[in-house]
Amino acid sequence: MTPNRHGSARIEFPNELEVLITREFDAPIALVFDVMTKPEHVSKWGATPPDQTTQCSIDLRVGGTYRHVFVTEDGTECSFHGTYLEVEPPVRTVKTWLFDGWPDTEAVETMQLHETNGVTTLTMRLAFRDKAGRDHMTRFDGKQDDFDAIEEILGSLPDPRGASLSS
Amino acid sequence: MARASTTSDVFNAIAEASRREILDVLMAGEKAVGAIVDDLSMSQPQVSRHLRVLSEVGLVKCRAQGRHRLYSLEPARLRPLHEWLAQYEHMWNERLDRIDDYLQELQSKGEQ
Repeated sequence: MTPNRHGSARIEFPNELEVLITREFDAPIALVFDVMTKPEHVSKWGATPPDQTTQCSIDLRVGGTYRHVFVTEDGTECSFHGTYLEVEPPVRTVKTWLFDGWPDTEAVETMQLHETNGVTTLTMRLAFRDKAGRDHMTRFDGKQDDFDAIEEILGSLPDPRGASLSS
Repeated sequence: MARASTTSDVFNAIAEASRREILDVLMAGEKAVGAIVDDLSMSQPQVSRHLRVLSEVGLVKCRAQGRHRLYSLEPARLRPLHEWLAQYEHMWNERLDRIDDYLQELQSKGEQ
């Protein structure tokens, strides 16, 4: 039996411009690499339901571009795109990451894979070019208008172990 | 990386893993510096320095009791942080769980 790893992603903020995400998969590295880099696979998991992928193209070579277009429930079209800077199957890709919803934001996404005993660890490092870009991803401040009873605030804290601030 | 900005931004204040550990320890309740030092593998000067940064952005507050200074979380400042973190973790987990399910599906097909 393979363990259920749902909800087990580790998210860290090593510095003010980066987000680091780590997750293990019960699958061989070559399959994980294919699922992350081939359009026939990415189109299957790339959009968050009810969003639907409408276009997915990946030219997997250094200098090659990728584009992932999806449409939301209300018909709005969004896209991610960028250029591959490094391609080393089946362990690593580095690509630029641009989202048409945040035209001022540019990030470099490094994906690193490592397999041990049939378990593949995926590490994604998102490095934003500047703090304005990172703030899009990490915006949480500035909406502190109504603070109710402390009990309610404490009650709203997620399960302390499940969403620990330290990673 | 500019260090000075840690004091002006809640997010930067928690970008440091040690400071997140201190916040975790304080989730259990108000504590003196010595008790935090005992709970974590950090020196007293390190803990004091991190507490100063956390106080400056308003994530922890401090009160004096006799010769001790007791630190506690400032929930009003923490709430948006937690909400954001939970949302962000949820978003990533949803995405990665979808990849996981898809990988399992591909592999079970391959075995048939």
